Amino acid sequence: MSAAGGCVPQRRQKVFLITADQDLTNLLLSLWSRDEMDWVHFGRGRAAIETLFNEPPDLLIVDQHLPDLSGGEVASLVKSENVYRQLPVILCLGPDDLARGVDFGSIECDDFLLAPYDGDEIRARVCLTLSRAMRSLDANPLTKLPGNTSIIQRIQELIDRQEDFALAYVDLDYFKSFNDKYGFSRGDEVLLMTARVIVNIIRGFPRARTFVGHVGGDDYVFITPPEIIEDACQRIIKSFDDIVPHFYDADDKAQGFIRSTDRQGQVRDFPLMAVSIAVVLNQGGRLQHFGEASAIAGALKKKAKENPKSCYVIDRRENG
Amino acid sequence: MTEDLKSETRDVVLEVKSLPTLPKVLDKVTALLENPDASMDEIARVIGTDQVLSAKVLKMVNSPIYGFPGRIGTVQHALVLLGINVIRGIIISTSVFDMMVKAMEGLWEHSVGCALACNCVARKAGFKDPEEYSVAGLLHDLGKVVMAVQLPELEQQVVETVKSRDLTYFEAERAVLGFGHDRINAWLADNWHLPPNLKEGMSYHHKPQLAPLYPDIAAVVHIGDFLIRVFEFGSGGDDQVHALRPEALKQLKLKTQDLEEILDQLGRELVEVADLNFA
Repeated sequence: MSAAGGCVPQRRQKVFLITADQDLTNLLLSLWSRDEMDWVHFGRGRAAIETLFNEPPDLLIVDQHLPDLSGGEVASLVKSENVYRQLPVILCLGPDDLARGVDFGSIECDDFLLAPYDGDEIRARVCLTLSRAMRSLDANPLTKLPGNTSIIQRIQELIDRQEDFALAYVDLDYFKSFNDKYGFSRGDEVLLMTARVIVNIIRGFPRARTFVGHVGGDDYVFITPPEIIEDACQRIIKSFDDIVPHFYDADDKAQGFIRSTDRQGQVRDFPLMAVSIAVVLNQGGRLQHFGEASAIAGALKKKAKENPKSCYVIDRRENG
Repeated sequence: MTEDLKSETRDVVLEVKSLPTLPKVLDKVTALLENPDASMDEIARVIGTDQVLSAKVLKMVNSPIYGFPGRIGTVQHALVLLGINVIRGIIISTSVFDMMVKAMEGLWEHSVGCALACNCVARKAGFKDPEEYSVAGLLHDLGKVVMAVQLPELEQQVVETVKSRDLTYFEAERAVLGFGHDRINAWLADNWHLPPNLKEGMSYHHKPQLAPLYPDIAAVVHIGDFLIRVFEFGSGGDDQVHALRPEALKQLKLKTQDLEEILDQLGRELVEVADLNFA
């Protein structure tokens, strides 16, 4: 069957199907090609569970009416373990199940399919569930910005399309000493503020294709066309430097540094936080792989960090 | 007024859901938002001339949803952190006064004039971020606006008391309500998680000598309010000039000579905003 409108997974998805219903099995397997979906079929619930725990798939589709367990029980087993919670589960319900009432408060599933089954609807719901799981799994829990998986995927996509782009790695100087002095919850305030500054400044270039992600902690990534990268860096630095003093107590803000004790027990003064940006340019298909970009950025970051004030460093080498 | 009545009034005041504003600035911001080349700075400058729009963006950016309540005290910073979509949402959802426009115009002029005056005072006093002092000046009478929207009958009584007994608006508020707009400002600032220095500027401008934590900003707003009344720019609801508290000048280490220089400077800057009419 050919892919209907946009419903193609970005990579081959491994799906566990637990059902004794042969018609449902045949229908599901007919909806995607073998390159798109890797199906593992189980006729009974108990047998599937160990495999499920050992090799969790990308998606679990489970029939509510199994010979040995209910689908809801299988779903609860999966969802009660934090390691597997993120695995999306679709429950297949019989025609009368909804009328009898399904308690979605206790049965933890992400979506359901209702018999009699319709191929187009199943396709759409499976795609929706997979992309929703991808979004929520990958989002940074603090800022809700896309995380590592999405960042790497976006960079590799741009490299593969040989598109020119500027990739910027952002991090904060003296964030750790700020956290040590004021505590992690004020640290989180600064991380949230930084995310808003980056996002809004990047979105302020409305005609450009851009991306902002949060690697974690005080590390962020953004991507813009090469033409606007310097402008973007300058604006981020300006706004960050203007706003960050307000996250310090009045006396620290006035003196312009914080005094705290380092790991060796030495009393040290730390400047107010600053932002360092390392930019890698990909022009003329110079980069082959995501790893090259991050390696170059790592070296640049060191250079940017040598400056205690906010600054950006751009790598302009034609060939890495 | 008994404590019960006061807390009842407080509840009504804090229930304020949608503060209307005057059409002029709202239209200007709307036009800027439609122009893709308009910069955030331009938009911030225009929003910064309207006390209600400024209060709305500061309330939004300091809401716990964004994760840094009580940190942001200027419109410029608020706009960078909220982003254009949120600003657009605020502007779309803001209505204009359908009544009492005439009465409000004077108060809008007084507020924007006071913001300017506070900026001049703060610069003269040598403070690094005069912008924050402007915001406190801009919002120092916000309680009067909220009162007029939420408790129109009481507000009418205050207005009549100003006329019949030749009192200042502040005195009349206390005669009618038992407390003034400074108290309402404090309720609003707390409820909206505004930065603590902004709160003191808004709630201690009539008694700067009592400001517990941020006496500087209270003193600046006190002097700013005094100066703009001397210029008779706009109207704070009465035609009087309250007494200038010497403690405020002392707090900022300003001399009478400095005050004269500020007056000159303010006079020049007011000419530039004189075409800002709110009708």
